[in-house]
Amino acid sequence: MTPERRDAPGQVPDNVTTASRARDFFSVPAPVKRIFDRFPLVTYPSNDLPHSPWSDKRGNRLFVFTDAAGARRGRPSFNPQCLKWQAYLRFVGIDFDIIPSNNHASPSGALPFLLPAHPIDNNDPIPSSKLQKWAIEQVHCEEEQQLNLRFDVYASLLDHRIRNAWLYVLYLDPENFDAVAQPLYVNPSSTNFAVRTTLAVQLQQAARTEILKSSSYVDVGALEAEASDAFEALSTLLGDNLHFFDRPNPGLFDASVFAYTHLILDEGLGWKRNRLGQLLRQHENLVQHRERLLKFF
Amino acid sequence: MVLELHVWGPAFSLPSIDAQCLATIAYLSLTVPKDAWVLVASSDPSVSPTNELPALKNGSTWVSRFRNITDYLRQYSNGEWDLDQNLSGLEKADNIAFTSFLESRAQPLLDLSLYVTSHNYYNSTSPSYGAILQWPNQWILPPQLHTAAKARTEHLGLSSLDLAAIEEQRQREHSAAVAAGHVPKNMIPRPRDTVSGMLGKTAQQNQFRLEALTGEVFDALEEILSGKEYFLHTRDQGPTSLDCVALGYLSLALVPELPNAWLRDAMKSKAPGVTGFTERCVKEIFGVVQLEHAFNPSGSSPSILPWRVLDRPRLVTVGKTLFNTLADSTPIWKEIRLNNRVKEAVESSDSDLSGVERRSYSNMAKSQNKDVWLSVGAAIGAVASLVGYLAHVGAFSSGEDGEEEYQEEEEQQQQQQQEEQEEMEEREPVPAFEEHAFALPEQPTQAADFLKAGAF
Repeated sequence: MTPERRDAPGQVPDNVTTASRARDFFSVPAPVKRIFDRFPLVTYPSNDLPHSPWSDKRGNRLFVFTDAAGARRGRPSFNPQCLKWQAYLRFVGIDFDIIPSNNHASPSGALPFLLPAHPIDNNDPIPSSKLQKWAIEQVHCEEEQQLNLRFDVYASLLDHRIRNAWLYVLYLDPENFDAVAQPLYVNPSSTNFAVRTTLAVQLQQAARTEILKSSSYVDVGALEAEASDAFEALSTLLGDNLHFFDRPNPGLFDASVFAYTHLILDEGLGWKRNRLGQLLRQHENLVQHRERLLKFF
Repeated sequence: MVLELHVWGPAFSLPSIDAQCLATIAYLSLTVPKDAWVLVASSDPSVSPTNELPALKNGSTWVSRFRNITDYLRQYSNGEWDLDQNLSGLEKADNIAFTSFLESRAQPLLDLSLYVTSHNYYNSTSPSYGAILQWPNQWILPPQLHTAAKARTEHLGLSSLDLAAIEEQRQREHSAAVAAGHVPKNMIPRPRDTVSGMLGKTAQQNQFRLEALTGEVFDALEEILSGKEYFLHTRDQGPTSLDCVALGYLSLALVPELPNAWLRDAMKSKAPGVTGFTERCVKEIFGVVQLEHAFNPSGSSPSILPWRVLDRPRLVTVGKTLFNTLADSTPIWKEIRLNNRVKEAVESSDSDLSGVERRSYSNMAKSQNKDVWLSVGAAIGAVASLVGYLAHVGAFSSGEDGEEEYQEEEEQQQQQQQEEQEEMEEREPVPAFEEHAFALPEQPTQAADFLKAGAF
């Protein structure tokens, strides 16, 4: 009951008063309503999408770990998984631009992924597990796994033995981590010291967990010995051929091997202690294989 | 000097429950003369300083893992106990590649079959561990191994074989729906799947994935075997270390009688040649192993393998196990121990690193330990400053008063309970309540609440 109403008797009948009182109880009080009626005070125009030199490119776009300069010149990525697919697409002759990215940008949570140029209306990203199928549809190259039974078997050397040794050398060896992994993976993400430290710890933790999945402790000697065996087996498999499985053109397996051998032998990364490089240089044909394929870039 | 091979104990009529142990047993029985080694089913990784099985003990030297053991045997016997000495170039490469292939592809299959498929785990694998482990390991190790196997196979996306986890998930969803109040409790349909129905359904969903995984492994093995006696050699040339590794993994796929035998079915249908190889080698090298062979060799029929009985566990060992388990499940302590494992492995004399490398690696492990201590210090500092700040602001002052009163209250109540008889209290709660309310006039409501909750 407001004082105004009590001051004006007779003007409002009793039954109307009760009804309006009930309505008052549920409605917004007038002063508050007046304030909210003024919103929104200002409506700003919507922001543009973040602009970068590569956002107006219309070709096939492969998102990988790389830096802006490397992306412009199409240099090899510094991540073995990304480099494998980058090299494969290049070997089979598909045109694409590479775009610097990170895991958080990927729909599957892992790089690389590809945004195809065609069809325009359907630009679903293609994760790395489906890239080979997509490439076969595009240029009708062979599915190499079907041609040789040793493909899968020798690929396990790369996915298992060499990968574990690589994880150790890059992430768990503290000197290499500070000199190589930190500038490549951690520093571009943030300039904040606390964020960088956390990211670095998370990366190392993830690498250790991955290695400990297959053994109960990190045995450095065993990791290196197994990588050495793996290089020896790959070297024997390559023999005097130009490419693996004596193919006329390099293919997926060459790309997988190149992804590791290039990065291990790439002195530009600034390795502090490169035991894998020493082991790999004992196999001259693998070193030459890497140099041959480097000409594609 | 007799070599002692420590392994996980026998199960499923095989001499060990672990593929790497089986491979090592096969390798030793093919190379080392029978009187030069004994087999000990210790089933406890902590017997070896590297905390791993299989482990070979020669005097005070311990060597663990299949690869290290074969290397050690070759050096120890001056190249005599070596299955791989006659390999040609490509055969050697194949030997390395197929070993890696089996370790990376067959191990997940075994993990899925023996651990993740919950029917097999709860009905076969877990009871088998129960039979070979001693207290308290039988309560500690199987869950650890189960978790590790799940972690190893997570990326395959076949966790739907794990019925226990599905059931848990569904119960969580069910109770979440109840909590959200969308549906009255008695109206929620409780899906009552029979076990066989669920198995059938998940089996259909998983069929394609499993088909691809098993096909990948068995097709490649069948092709390299291609009717020969062994994977790389014919009968005259004899077995290689690859045959031992393959036997380790394949026998665990073929021999166990599991409730849900999808792996064995796949193996029999996809790779008849490999199945034949496995059956023959199991018979020749392992024989049929029963639990008594490992734990009571004097009784019953003799085994092909040179078993030796394990010593009774001493109190020290049991205490050590309990201590290690506790340490490994404490967050920061665990990190320190993990780093130490790298250090110990590097500093131990038998690792084949050069002096400089060994020093640098142990420095690294030490510096990582420093990091851990630094983080411990930072955490303690942060907590201390928070507590200090709260004390400074005065957040504790009222709380402390309350607590003291609470304690007084409790003491009084205990005294009273001793004095009065319980029947009296039950019959006449009101006077007691009033007495306490008067005793603490500062905060009557609190005292009353406490009495209501605590005494009656």
